[in-house]
Amino acid sequence: MGQDNRTSASAVDDAPDGALLVAFANGDAAAGRELLDRIAPRIFGYAARVLGDRTEAEDVVQDTMLRLWKMAPDWRQGEAQVSTWAYRVAVNLCTDRLRKRQSRPQVALDQVAEPPADLATAVERMTESARADALQAALGQLPDRQRQAVVLRHLEGLSNPEIAQIMDIGVEAVESLTARAKRSLKAALGGRKEELGYDDG
Amino acid sequence: MAVGRKNWGTMMDKEKHDDAALDALFSAAAARPERPSDDFMARLADQAIPAPPPAAPATPPSSRAGWLTGFFAASGLSGAAVLGVWIGFVMPEALDTFSLSTDDTVALSTFLPGADLGAALSE
Repeated sequence: MGQDNRTSASAVDDAPDGALLVAFANGDAAAGRELLDRIAPRIFGYAARVLGDRTEAEDVVQDTMLRLWKMAPDWRQGEAQVSTWAYRVAVNLCTDRLRKRQSRPQVALDQVAEPPADLATAVERMTESARADALQAALGQLPDRQRQAVVLRHLEGLSNPEIAQIMDIGVEAVESLTARAKRSLKAALGGRKEELGYDDG
Repeated sequence: MAVGRKNWGTMMDKEKHDDAALDALFSAAAARPERPSDDFMARLADQAIPAPPPAAPATPPSSRAGWLTGFFAASGLSGAAVLGVWIGFVMPEALDTFSLSTDDTVALSTFLPGADLGAALSE
């Protein structure tokens, strides 16, 4: 009996996301819990970075998971990755929330990190925590689509083809978005170089 | 021309430095991912995961069904017993003469509603 339980737990741990979703649809609550533990933290990390608000990120995760459970009986294995499907829902939910914000003021970069006269030197001097905060503040100044693309690429570690699927755009469009985002980030982080005496040479 | 190349080279160096700095920021942020709280995950597990569909019952009848079955069985026996007591109470003399010896014959119609049970038994 105990051996059976261990085998079952191991099978759940090793199962691909799609198999867990199918098992959940067939009444296996343990499979649903394992899938929740895999998907929810990733969606939360993405939403918190994009929205800059943990409470809103929790709402996005909850909505995403509810939609996942509702869709479970219709899931067909092999057609898509569960995580890709979940990210796609989360991207759309975040986009809706960002549109509704419009007039909401964004966090100013100089409220978080000291203004960098030389970006590289400034980053070298920052603590790890300050680096993360500085990047979060700079992300908040990006256009929505650029922010979503760069978070998925450089913070969530997804490939460009995956991001293309998630954002429903071509791979080239993803490359363009992330390239523009990186330029914007560098500009945002080093945007005060003139008043700080930083010379482009 | 030499100055231009120098400036271009300086710009390229700066671009590389800025790229490296941005990569350092990405690495720092990726190493400190935003994680949901344990409370939120617990709430999510309790509230968001719907209960799996119940399995078909393969159990004996419920206690209520068993109780009803026992009630009707018991009430049948009790009814017969009460009827016997009632007959004995209203017609004790008739029961004195009633026996199921082989000599006695009692027609089934005798026990139908409206029959004169006393007359039948005294025959």
